[in-house]
Amino acid sequence: MNKMKNFKRRFSLSVPRTETIEESLAEFTEQFNQLNNRKNEGHLQMGHLGRGFRAEPTSVSPSEVEGQSPTAVRYRRNNQRRFSMEDVSKRLSLPVDIRLPPEFLQKLQMDNPEFPKTFSRMSRRASLSDIGFGKLETYVKLEKLGEGTYATVFKGRSKLTGNLVALKEIRLEHEEGAPCTAIREVSLLKNLKHANIVTLHDFIHTDRSLTLVFEYLDNDLKQYLDNCGNLMNVHNVKIFLFQLLRGLSYCHKSKILHRDLKPQNLLINERGELKLADFGLARAKSIPTKTYSNEVVTLWYRPPDVLLGSTEYSTPIDMWGVGCIHYEMVTGRPMFPGSTVKEELHLIFRLLGTPTEVSWPGITSNEEFKGYHFTQYQAQPLINHAPRYLPGLMSTHTHLFLCFLQYEAKRRISAEEALRHRYFRALGDRVQLLPDNASVFSLKEIQLQKDPGYRGSAFQQSGRMLQQGTDP
Amino acid sequence: MVTHPLSPERPGRPRSPPSKRRRAAGATPEERTQPLCRGLGLRAPVKKSKCPSCPGERPPQGDAARLCAPGSPEPAARLELQAFREYGASWYRFRKGLESKFHPREPLAQQPQVTAEARCKLISWLIPVHRHFGFSFESLCLAVNTLDRFLTTTPVAADCFQLLGVTSLFIACKQVEVHLPRVKQLLALCCDVFSRQQLCNLECIILSKLHFNLGAPTINFFLEHFTHLRVESCQADAREANNAKALAKGMAELSMADYAFNEYAPSLLAICSLGLADQILHHQNPLDLHISGYPEEVLQDCTDKLHLLVSLNGDSLPHVLPPGYF
Repeated sequence: MNKMKNFKRRFSLSVPRTETIEESLAEFTEQFNQLNNRKNEGHLQMGHLGRGFRAEPTSVSPSEVEGQSPTAVRYRRNNQRRFSMEDVSKRLSLPVDIRLPPEFLQKLQMDNPEFPKTFSRMSRRASLSDIGFGKLETYVKLEKLGEGTYATVFKGRSKLTGNLVALKEIRLEHEEGAPCTAIREVSLLKNLKHANIVTLHDFIHTDRSLTLVFEYLDNDLKQYLDNCGNLMNVHNVKIFLFQLLRGLSYCHKSKILHRDLKPQNLLINERGELKLADFGLARAKSIPTKTYSNEVVTLWYRPPDVLLGSTEYSTPIDMWGVGCIHYEMVTGRPMFPGSTVKEELHLIFRLLGTPTEVSWPGITSNEEFKGYHFTQYQAQPLINHAPRYLPGLMSTHTHLFLCFLQYEAKRRISAEEALRHRYFRALGDRVQLLPDNASVFSLKEIQLQKDPGYRGSAFQQSGRMLQQGTDP
Repeated sequence: MVTHPLSPERPGRPRSPPSKRRRAAGATPEERTQPLCRGLGLRAPVKKSKCPSCPGERPPQGDAARLCAPGSPEPAARLELQAFREYGASWYRFRKGLESKFHPREPLAQQPQVTAEARCKLISWLIPVHRHFGFSFESLCLAVNTLDRFLTTTPVAADCFQLLGVTSLFIACKQVEVHLPRVKQLLALCCDVFSRQQLCNLECIILSKLHFNLGAPTINFFLEHFTHLRVESCQADAREANNAKALAKGMAELSMADYAFNEYAPSLLAICSLGLADQILHHQNPLDLHISGYPEEVLQDCTDKLHLLVSLNGDSLPHVLPPGYF
């Protein structure tokens, strides 16, 4: 990175630029390669090659050449090195999963007939911005994917890599400057690098807007459920839940709360990789707890303590939502689709039982709770509502599920602990040892199975009907 | 103004003798505000009375008031402690790992106009400003870090230095506060010398120069971390731990305004402030400073300088220092 900055600093202003992005990248990579190898290889100083150098297409004045350090320009005898994709990414610190088109790699082989593999063109150089990072022109907008209060999301394509990207365009022309959601999201994501957290590739800052360039994932969990007729394979539920917990555990370990978990914020690609997205409400959890506002989580996935006005936010705030999402994957319908706080609490209590001093110590003295005068419901056996939460064989499933849905925040299982729950034993031991940046699908034992609702259009239809029937 | 134990012109050099005259200049952070405004063209006093964005439930005096309150921890604190048991070690690893990336050692090295003295005045002004709005200590720490790191990237003219200060505070608040200050209020603090457009433009410039790298590990985080660790260890006295933290916070504030302390990482300043607080308060079970992993001589050097700073500015810590300290 430092070397790159030096290059940029030294040359970016002085050299007229006529070459294409590809050329720049190729040269730049070569320069790097040379600098890295120079100790091992014999070389000649620039002066020995005067004629060859002047034959270069780009005009560089001799004074500029002299300005460079003498070691910067050299002749190499054995430029046999083949470039691999990995090299390029490493050298340019590109995102790990960036894919450069094959033409790039071909150019990097440097099969120039005039100076076959022997001549370095150190006089022209490039930086990341030369190959298009941080520039709006690098991305082509395709269709609009959605619009929020402060941002519009487009599907896009990177001209640099040909890959699809999601472009989140944030308007900056607000009375109060840059939206705090954008500031939080970008600054948090810059410190988070994990296979189950959406990657921020780039951001482009102009006077009027800020565009965040994310990796593109085809679906979110909501769409995925729709596509499979709300009937997911239970094995796939396990893999998705594991990935959700992996991403969340990483956030919590970094002292970051997501605070807005919902199926729409869990993105899924065609491999089945699930990634947490939309960190606009997330916050580094390092400030006095009292200052959190309690208007954060979408009502359906909001824990009862927060619904009752608690502002003691900590990591368990996200775990209740995990339970609700788990239920939604298993049954295909939202667990507590309340439209008001009262209705939401009512739905929760009707299913899990109205809280008592036993299930929730201190609840009977909660003023908000007393004000609602809820009926005393008994907890319902889960099987009545979701026959797929079977006893016996599936009991570990149900056990984990109930650990998420504890009334008292501190009793809820943590993401870290949940990952080690015996429910996930079927995935094998190796998933527990994966490095942060490795996808679970890098292990061959982890594979998605066919969702029973997928393809069969009749099935899908009936699934939709079912959902419509149950939604209020 | 915070009195420098080390002369601002020669940061990192041996200390100059404390002078009576300089000591008289500083009082409480609130009182420090006024002369500063004149001195550096920092405009507008901090109005104590009306403040639309600071609701009544947040008293402006901060931790000082809570200093001597013993008793059981609040429920929030209990939840926090539970989370700490589970995640404390990884939180620490994560922040500690980012520390050097976010540590501006010599932010003024390339500055043609901004001096250590000007920086001191600005931060000594930001301290009461953040308190006036009821912002957390975390916000202040982030603001100072943003300010310093921006100074390493861009030469700043003296006449817009104050705007840089409030804009840094604004960005910090957007990261961690629920109740944000209005741009109008911030401009009023500077006597409306700057326009809304200028502030918003500067915000954009800061964000892009820092590439949105804003989540610095702060002294506040490390103070909390070491205090939690201490409360968790069996023989600790929770009341001593909290009192030490409150005093250490006051010292950390002082040190932020002093350019000479820029060479120390936040975790080092945090542990040394806590250690010094234990000494000053004559605690029975002081914190073991070696949990920070710093070698003895590094701890000693930083503690000595902090001690000097506190003895020179003791009058600005009246709430947190024990009565018989002087």
